[in-house]
Amino acid sequence: MRRSTLLSCLAFSLGISKLLFATPQVLNIGNGSEPKDLDPHTVTGVPESQIIQNLFEGLVSKDPQTLKPVGGVAESWKVSKDGRTYIFKIRKNAKWSNGDPVTSQDFIFSWKRLLDPQTASEYAYQGYYIRGGRDFNLGKVKDSSQLGLKAPSPETLEVVLENPTPYFLSLLYHHSLYPVHQTTVQKHQMRWTRPENIVSNGPFTLQKWEMNKVISLQKSPHHWDAPQVKLEGVNYYPIEKPETEEKLFQVKKLHVTGTVPTEKIAYWTKDNSGVFRRHPYLGTYFYWMNVTRPPINNKLVRKALALAIDREKLVKFVVKGGQAPAEFFTPPGIGDFHPKALLPKDGSRIAEAKKLLEQAGFPQGKGLPSIEILYNTSDAHKKIAEAIQQMWKENLGVQATLYNQEWKVFLDTQHSHNYMVSRAGWIADYNDPNTFLDMLTTGNGNNHAAWSNTSYDELIAKAAKEKSPQKRNQLFQKAEEILLEELPVLPLYIYTRIYLLSTDVQGWYENVEDVHPLKYVSLK
Amino acid sequence: MSEIMAQSQSIVNEEGQSLWADAWFRLKKNHLAVLGLCFLVFEMMLFFGVPLISTVGYEAQNLELTLAAPSFQHWLGTDTLGRDLFQRLLYGGRISLTVGILASLVSAIVGVIYGSVAGFLGGKIDGFLMRVVDVLYALPFIFLVIILMVYFGRNLILLFVALGLTQWLTMARIVRGQVLSLRHKEFIEAAKSLGIRQRKIVLRHLIPNTLGAVIVYLTLTVPSVILEEAFLSYLGLGVQAPMASWGTLIKEGVDVMDQAPWLLFFPALCLSTTLFSLNFLGDGLRDALDPKGAKD
Repeated sequence: MRRSTLLSCLAFSLGISKLLFATPQVLNIGNGSEPKDLDPHTVTGVPESQIIQNLFEGLVSKDPQTLKPVGGVAESWKVSKDGRTYIFKIRKNAKWSNGDPVTSQDFIFSWKRLLDPQTASEYAYQGYYIRGGRDFNLGKVKDSSQLGLKAPSPETLEVVLENPTPYFLSLLYHHSLYPVHQTTVQKHQMRWTRPENIVSNGPFTLQKWEMNKVISLQKSPHHWDAPQVKLEGVNYYPIEKPETEEKLFQVKKLHVTGTVPTEKIAYWTKDNSGVFRRHPYLGTYFYWMNVTRPPINNKLVRKALALAIDREKLVKFVVKGGQAPAEFFTPPGIGDFHPKALLPKDGSRIAEAKKLLEQAGFPQGKGLPSIEILYNTSDAHKKIAEAIQQMWKENLGVQATLYNQEWKVFLDTQHSHNYMVSRAGWIADYNDPNTFLDMLTTGNGNNHAAWSNTSYDELIAKAAKEKSPQKRNQLFQKAEEILLEELPVLPLYIYTRIYLLSTDVQGWYENVEDVHPLKYVSLK
Repeated sequence: MSEIMAQSQSIVNEEGQSLWADAWFRLKKNHLAVLGLCFLVFEMMLFFGVPLISTVGYEAQNLELTLAAPSFQHWLGTDTLGRDLFQRLLYGGRISLTVGILASLVSAIVGVIYGSVAGFLGGKIDGFLMRVVDVLYALPFIFLVIILMVYFGRNLILLFVALGLTQWLTMARIVRGQVLSLRHKEFIEAAKSLGIRQRKIVLRHLIPNTLGAVIVYLTLTVPSVILEEAFLSYLGLGVQAPMASWGTLIKEGVDVMDQAPWLLFFPALCLSTTLFSLNFLGDGLRDALDPKGAKD
């Protein structure tokens, strides 16, 4: 045991010394966890998406200052009057990292791959906007030529949508709609994202992937905008401990951290060096409630548990980053949508929770089996879970047990519904409430609660067709009401993005979606 | 402390000293070992006594008073969730010491039986049994524990057993060595010629004669098990929240050592003094029970 610790210390210090001699225009980023994969169509997590956003490029890119769509692989596009047909003109100089041109066929292949039931993409529903996408994904239609995708020429892509979707362009920045290289994917199958195989079309290419140590990207000479790209390389370090990240940042081995240790937020707030960053972030921290697992298949129990949590206290004393308590699921302000708080705020909620638990047949928590809370390994998640565990115990007499899993295992466990209550965080994929609410429709790949409600599904489907923004938001409000009545999710707080950013980094803009295309970034 | 001394004197004063009385007499002369023993007894009383009378639970949170410095209200301060460190230390000590003692007992039971059977039967069976031990020795213990924990689930009792099951190998070797040197002694030959069954010979004559070495090794196993539990808890495989062991307390303390050094200092102090005491006691017992080996 001791020797192995010594060896890993040695390996670690070697890693640090490597960092020390890194060349100037190389950005070092603390990226939280080891990514599950780098396949744009199968991943769902933030650590993965951070890397993929710089490895690949969609039809449309985002301006980091305004979050407005700007040209990506497509240099221009036209939208038909009814808002259903998009015609994209692909750049002639858009190239894959092996020099192949990026064509409209690449997008058709990629989007079919996303929707193919065999890919089993949890994000397949991002392709449902394309006409016929849902039926093809659900296997109702086998013929992929029925999809609303056409390639009149290699430079032209015609997309026909199911409904006019005002946010379709910003959706194209999401990794699930990125192109993948057909021959590479077909040749290497599962191993196509390995550094020796991967072909990508973004401003960077994958140079090195050392499990649990580092993922290195290198500037791609073939990218159409290569002269704009100032960074020579990027290193992503999967550091799960914020304390370690912070130490590495202080000795200038990291330019950007993933987060800040909870107990150090107060310290950094007072710091005047300008490295501490805090800004609103469109994301909700919540718990999935697996509605197939007794005892929380009982709606009353779920509601009692939701009411017994003092979110104000949780945010103020445990999370400590100035986050807002979440009395709703969708973060307020997304696409001008402001959900109403529905859970009662005053002291009556505990009494109400007790009453509900009694109605469910578990007075004072008697006879209720222990509630199991799963979280991905992190002290911050553990602390929150411990605080909630104690609130449930004190307010309801409900026992809870905690257990943790490493990120990749954790994602699998959620996906296979093999848990009771699980920690989760959902970040907006585009600036519209739909990115939060359509996730909970029946059979959605990211609906980890296994929850299904027909009137909810109808509301979301109706909202997709609704043209008037006011009416749409009303429909979303109704959907929120169903969510907070049924509680397949137990919202806890609205995220605030908190991290450390070196003052050497330029071209990095704060925004609510936390989007930082590294092609604009450089080092002083 | 004085009470123990009084007892011991009455034993010493008995006529015809037994092995145990003799050992006790020698142990008493080793001041460090006695100090260690007293400290351990004191700790045990504290760990198992105080929670019975204290009003604050180890898991009670006071979210408005997190990371408070040691004060009259919270003797050793509070942690990141406003829990009283003193209570958590006592509770953690209970878990750590229980893990240490129970796992050592598991290792002793398995190791003694295995080793004495191998040593007594000898020949091919001995060879086979000892090769099994060699193979298990080659496996890194931590993987074995992790596999056991994952396979059987997170359970405190299983943690004791899993740790014990990885500790019995050395014990088995020591006991086998002892038995090998004993099995041709006259009293065993005598027992055999009287037609006593093998099982009885092992249980009645061999095992009691190896106890000296076993007890000495046990006191050395306890600290190593406590350390291993601390290591497992550090990895998140040990005790689960809100329970705490010294290992988890130290881990939590390390994270906030800039802002609240007491959260690291006190658990580390407790762990190290306890390990010192156990090691001193173990050394003392070795000298006391095994005078021939005392010089190495």
